[in-house]
Amino acid sequence: MKHFLVLFALSYLGASLCVWWLSGFVPWFLLPDFPFLAVVFSGLFVPGGAGFLCALPPAIFREITTSAPSWSMFLGSMALYFASREIGRRFLLRSEPSLLGAVVSLLAAESFSVVLLLFLSGGRPFSFLWGAQEAVRIAWTSLIAVPLFLDLSVRWRRVKE
Amino acid sequence: MRSFFRNWWRTLVVVALLVAAIQVFVRPSTALERAEPVRAAGVVLFRPFYSAADFLRGGLSGVWNRYIALVGVSRENERLRKEVTELRERLHATRDAVLENRRLKELLSYSQTVERRTLGARVVGHDVSPWFRAIFLGTGSEAGIESGMSVVTPYGAVGRIHKVHSGLSEVLLVTDGRFAADVMVERSRVRAIAEGVGGNFCRLKYVSPAQDVAVGDRIVFSGFDGSMPKGVLLGTVVSVDRPKESLFQKVNVQCAVNFQDVEDVMVILSRPTVPFRAVTD
Repeated sequence: MKHFLVLFALSYLGASLCVWWLSGFVPWFLLPDFPFLAVVFSGLFVPGGAGFLCALPPAIFREITTSAPSWSMFLGSMALYFASREIGRRFLLRSEPSLLGAVVSLLAAESFSVVLLLFLSGGRPFSFLWGAQEAVRIAWTSLIAVPLFLDLSVRWRRVKE
Repeated sequence: MRSFFRNWWRTLVVVALLVAAIQVFVRPSTALERAEPVRAAGVVLFRPFYSAADFLRGGLSGVWNRYIALVGVSRENERLRKEVTELRERLHATRDAVLENRRLKELLSYSQTVERRTLGARVVGHDVSPWFRAIFLGTGSEAGIESGMSVVTPYGAVGRIHKVHSGLSEVLLVTDGRFAADVMVERSRVRAIAEGVGGNFCRLKYVSPAQDVAVGDRIVFSGFDGSMPKGVLLGTVVSVDRPKESLFQKVNVQCAVNFQDVEDVMVILSRPTVPFRAVTD
């Protein structure tokens, strides 16, 4: 329950802050994707069915706040949850570099697949400048993810002990 | 076989979910409409946040417009008075032309293609994802907004309603890669398809090298495809490239509206009529 509430609050406040409050003032590439981080965290650190439940609200928040075709973002976020769960199970992620690598690769994989889909459907809305901005967004979100994930996981381990 | 599934079921679920996501991305499914109450509940959760953001932004811009921006208003007033006098003279001169135009229109039984019943709406948020360009309006289905309706400002086109919820609607901007509409060059009446390319730009597709398009030309919606009302300004041509090997010109258009700064928009509640698509029984 505690996991659920903390991740719910993180993704809800993060999405609200970025989409309703800071958008229009702060460029999109400086706004970290908090619901994405909550989905990845539940996959990496929250075991069993609780992790799945924790991933549901942030996935719905991503679906509402992203202008993708209906429900594609939700399904994509659930795929992201299972992918991060597999990463968490097969590779032990306790050190900063491995955690950074996991988050960067998941962000890059998601971005690449959406860009590929848009390209295949005939859209060409991407430029070199966009690529540079997206790289900044991935780096910035990953840099926030590492201390956040480590802090939350250490806290929960202490509570368990 | 069982151990394989036990070891790899998560990966198989990832693949299945990705296939489903790609499927709904390419071909949206109507079966998923049953899950709409879940999304509606999510929208209700966000309502206090975007209502508060709207209230604060309104208050701040009110303070700015009523007090701070009044500095130098007398000078502006003087300039505007002169401008009004000039415009009155010009209006007088063009009145004859307007009357003649009206007579000719009646003569040709020209029908008005756009019935502009509009609704004002406030922008309450922006899509911050890197792949899509959209804004959120604080008005939704309760005000009669439906997906597909055009969204404009007095300066030009903003986009099209994409998704509608109660109290919230999502507008796909003209700069989004999925936006495309029939447009024409105001000066030469050359027709093309405008497509969003991100940033604050669109490009014109299928303009042959023989056609007359120049930097500075204004691009307006033709209204022929029924997606946007006729005559609404899209933007201004900023570059024209004529590659030797290509069949078409590369024309870039800067949108008339700055989507980062836009605060209030108008939703055209009635869809444009499409004369050539009208089905007669």
